[in-house]
Amino acid sequence: MTTLPTSPLTSPREDHSLSLRGSRGLVWSVLRLHRAALWIWLLLLAAVSATMLWAYGPGFDAAAADLRQQCRDSVVACHFPSGPWYGKYDTAVALSTLVVAYLPFLVAVWAGAALIGRELETGTAHLAWTQSVSPARWLAAKLAVPALLITAGTAVLIPLHRLMWNGGEELLWADWYDQDAFHANGTVALAYALCGLAVGALAGLLLGRALPALGVAFAAMLAITYLGNDYRPSMWRTVTVTGAKALNLPDDSLRLDQGVITTEGTRIGNNLACTDALDGAADLRRCMARGGLSDIWATYHPRSHFWPLQLAETGIVLAVAALAVIAAFVLLNRRVATASAAASVPPDRRTAAVGAAV
Amino acid sequence: MSAFAVKGTAEEARALPRGPVRGLPWTVLRLHRAALVVWVTFLLAAVGTLVWEVEVIADSVRERIASCGENGGLCRLTTLVDYSGTISWASTLVYYSFFAVAAFAGGALIGRELENGTAQLAWTQSVSPTRWLAAKLAVPAVLLVLGGTVFVLVFRWAWAANRDLMGDDWTFNDVFAARGPALVAYGLCGLAVGALAGVVLRRSLPALGISCVVMYLLNHNLEKHRVDLWPTVASGGSTVGGLPDDVWQVGDGSFHTQSHYWPMHLVETGIVLGVAGLATAAAFGLLRRRTA
Repeated sequence: MTTLPTSPLTSPREDHSLSLRGSRGLVWSVLRLHRAALWIWLLLLAAVSATMLWAYGPGFDAAAADLRQQCRDSVVACHFPSGPWYGKYDTAVALSTLVVAYLPFLVAVWAGAALIGRELETGTAHLAWTQSVSPARWLAAKLAVPALLITAGTAVLIPLHRLMWNGGEELLWADWYDQDAFHANGTVALAYALCGLAVGALAGLLLGRALPALGVAFAAMLAITYLGNDYRPSMWRTVTVTGAKALNLPDDSLRLDQGVITTEGTRIGNNLACTDALDGAADLRRCMARGGLSDIWATYHPRSHFWPLQLAETGIVLAVAALAVIAAFVLLNRRVATASAAASVPPDRRTAAVGAAV
Repeated sequence: MSAFAVKGTAEEARALPRGPVRGLPWTVLRLHRAALVVWVTFLLAAVGTLVWEVEVIADSVRERIASCGENGGLCRLTTLVDYSGTISWASTLVYYSFFAVAAFAGGALIGRELENGTAQLAWTQSVSPTRWLAAKLAVPAVLLVLGGTVFVLVFRWAWAANRDLMGDDWTFNDVFAARGPALVAYGLCGLAVGALAGVVLRRSLPALGISCVVMYLLNHNLEKHRVDLWPTVASGGSTVGGLPDDVWQVGDGSFHTQSHYWPMHLVETGIVLGVAGLATAAAFGLLRRRTA
């Protein structure tokens, strides 16, 4: 593994670490090889954490003062929050939510391109395997070190984001089920980031080239995120209510569907009949009788479903990540087996087999 | 120039160009054929979707709305969202594809060549560094202008075809850009910024990252300040509740009428093309100084 770093290996400190054996050396070499990514990750963590802390404390206070001043000046302007500090606060919140929610994409393209794809493309991976490191251990280290750092980083980002978001609810006009906020406010942020790592690594191994792996990893994460957003409401049992309750769902509910039941007992979804009958139960009964309906219903997720939905999605996404990791190891083992089988055939056919395997 | 093709074999030698595109431009196309195929497929899919939605789907959408009945508010809405959403997806994806262009230019077109040394190898042959960079930029630029123009024309037609079925208006970020030359300008700017990042950093992945970040900063700030690109009309307080249709309201009560679309759009196009020109000049200047 000592041959991996392409930059100078001559400083005394590095000579010292060369003597490290086993997994410590392997971990160190992963960190050393990807030190640029490590620094960017630490910088990103520091910048986003600082932004979120500012938005939670002084930013929120300044924006709220802006808004109070505006409301004193004119009642109409009160409904269109603006102002220098409000603008800064809004941008800070939006940017940090963006970073936390879309972090998995960054992880996936990095894992596909820099962590695995480039190593296979330039042949440094194959060189490492000829030394004391088996391919499986090489991949294990490549996945374990970033996974630990990602877990540690998101363990800081998610609580800070929750702090900022819950603290600013009266200014933000945001709902708990907004896609980006949902991604940034709970454990799914960690699950998607780890899934990005696994999918990126698999794409890198499959393609063996940095830039195509980058593109494929990005597209795969796009598909996974899209499917997650699409099927999120079905990941936990919804609540169905009938009658007048269907017209007055609890505050902050995610309304999913509304419909009617006819007097013949047929259930019709996606129908807003009698929605305007808000003047009490008698009004609703009159409207239903007029339309030949026996009842109206609505399905929704109350706010209390936030954590069940988070945990269910976390589990599913982690399962996808685990499948990708297993596929990556199986693929790698098979390739290495093919390559070493090729070592026993004549040289001219050997190159072809290794080429096919890589 | 066959040195460009990494797997130089007899098959490659046979594949020497016979068509209208020869020499240096041909090698650029040949080397980046995967990108070419992906880009052409993507553009054809976008254009095809627009034509399909307008020519085939629109009528069935009207039928579905008619069958929604009197109380079908939600049914009507979801049907409209399906149609309007598909068209807006096409414009969103093609508009923001300048990120992919920047990533390609920084990563694959320039950065990887300088990192691997294939560029330096080409320069030892009959191609000077300046001509090498010129071909690398000219071929994708021609394709971007051609493809972008086709998309803008088709999108203008598709966007205007069934206004009653669409939920957007001219002020939407993607609609604003995709109805004119700004879409093409962003593509060219992505190309130039990517090339500059590639020449400066000489490594594919850092160049890819930096060019995407630069394009994000440029695009994000221009989108944010679009309303300031042309003087607004002051409402004067007397027109409360009586503003003309389709205006772009700016926070303080003043607004842009739709007649401001072209001035605003062209100012933005000019700024983006200016950045593209500066980046191209810087890339050539730097390359010449390095290889002098």
